[in-house]
Amino acid sequence: MAEEFEPKIMAFICKWCTSAGADLAGVSRLEYPSNVIPIQVMCSGSVSPLYVFSALSQGADGVLVSGCHPGDCHYMKGNYYARRRLALVKKLLEYIGLEPERFQMSWVSATEGVKFTQIIKDLVKELQPLGPQTKLRRN
Amino acid sequence: MVSEDKLREEVKKLLQEGKIKYFIGYENGGPGWLARPAFIQQPEAVSRLIWSPGCVHNLTRFLQDEKRRRAREKNPDLRPVGLIVKGCDSRAINVLLQEKYIERKDVYLIGVSCELLGVVDEAKITRRLYPAKPLQVRFGAKETILVLTDQGEREIAASEVLADRCLECPANFPLVADIVLGEKINRPNPQPYQSIASFEAKSLEERWAFWQEQFSRCLRCYACRSVCPMCYCDECVADSIVYAVSADTTAEEKAQKVKWVERNPEPQENIFYHLVRAIHLAGRCVDCGECERVCPVGLPLRLLNKKLEKEAKALFGYEVGLDANSPPLISCFRDNDPQDFIR
Repeated sequence: MAEEFEPKIMAFICKWCTSAGADLAGVSRLEYPSNVIPIQVMCSGSVSPLYVFSALSQGADGVLVSGCHPGDCHYMKGNYYARRRLALVKKLLEYIGLEPERFQMSWVSATEGVKFTQIIKDLVKELQPLGPQTKLRRN
Repeated sequence: MVSEDKLREEVKKLLQEGKIKYFIGYENGGPGWLARPAFIQQPEAVSRLIWSPGCVHNLTRFLQDEKRRRAREKNPDLRPVGLIVKGCDSRAINVLLQEKYIERKDVYLIGVSCELLGVVDEAKITRRLYPAKPLQVRFGAKETILVLTDQGEREIAASEVLADRCLECPANFPLVADIVLGEKINRPNPQPYQSIASFEAKSLEERWAFWQEQFSRCLRCYACRSVCPMCYCDECVADSIVYAVSADTTAEEKAQKVKWVERNPEPQENIFYHLVRAIHLAGRCVDCGECERVCPVGLPLRLLNKKLEKEAKALFGYEVGLDANSPPLISCFRDNDPQDFIR
């Protein structure tokens, strides 16, 4: 039996909300796929488009940027900037022909451990049929 | 109609009165129809100035050189620099003002209205007139362009030879200027994003195949970056050799410079470079078309820039360069920005 493809997902998660949410998922012993490589950033607003491109070019099959819900940002408005900037990144990546599932964003608060596990599960399920990301990967 | 005599007269007056340091305009560029940038310092030299459909350059790019020169000099001449601006160039000035790269008093702008015409596209005019060679272009009456070729003079409908960007221009008259020459006639602009419409309609795989083929041709000569009036950073993230290194730079500082993109022209590196370039121009590109014009391998870079311009308008209602007092696109937000793509 052929092994199922296991996508590698880079997750840029904000220190104040999603990271705490992921911790909550951990301490609550909720299970989720181990495909995700979380990178803690201070704010989703600090995620430069370069991070996303760089992750894809270094072989990530999917990229997730996750931050606080609008209005809950620790720095008041960082996630609003992220939303605007990354919307453009998403449009650009789709425009040059990358599958839209490969770059995703989510809002996960510190209490939403269940939501975090669900997002990772969904992401893995969506990325599995696409296979490895070779379009932007560096040779 | 913009009168060249009036233009020369105004520039001469400015130079004689010492109001400006020097003037950047256009002059005849040798045997072809394409004008070239002219730097006028003496009042007598104003006779070199021209205004024709061959004046394609965006002269605001030279403000970067001026800014660097000022930073270098001990006692810089702080008088403003005179400049011809078309509609598109004036939007570039607005963006530079928005970003506080220049101050309004640093420049003295002579705006020229393109009226119902614009500038000529090299490929289009060559194809249209083949086998005749265009030698000189002039604005004609009633939306035509008069072309002097080696086989006599021709009159061509403007819509046949104007650059695509001129046909889609959102503001064909200068939005910011000290003196405006020519009439302010609004060109009807029924399909502002026509050039990308057919491309957007393609499937994901077709789009990928197209870009992969295009980007694999890129030589990474960085001409698109050099000519862009918006690419003014001293250090470019996409190019590791322009990191500012002085005698005082410590090894630690050097080690901390992140090399995001390799310089070798491999397809994947090229894509990275062009993605970075495109996203850095989101909400800043004024569609002056210079990157596409100077590209030695003819990459369709406008296609990328125009897409982000369109998305900025569709998602955030933002139009580039119309107002120097509003914040730049990604330095502001609205509470109701679309977030349907976020889980």
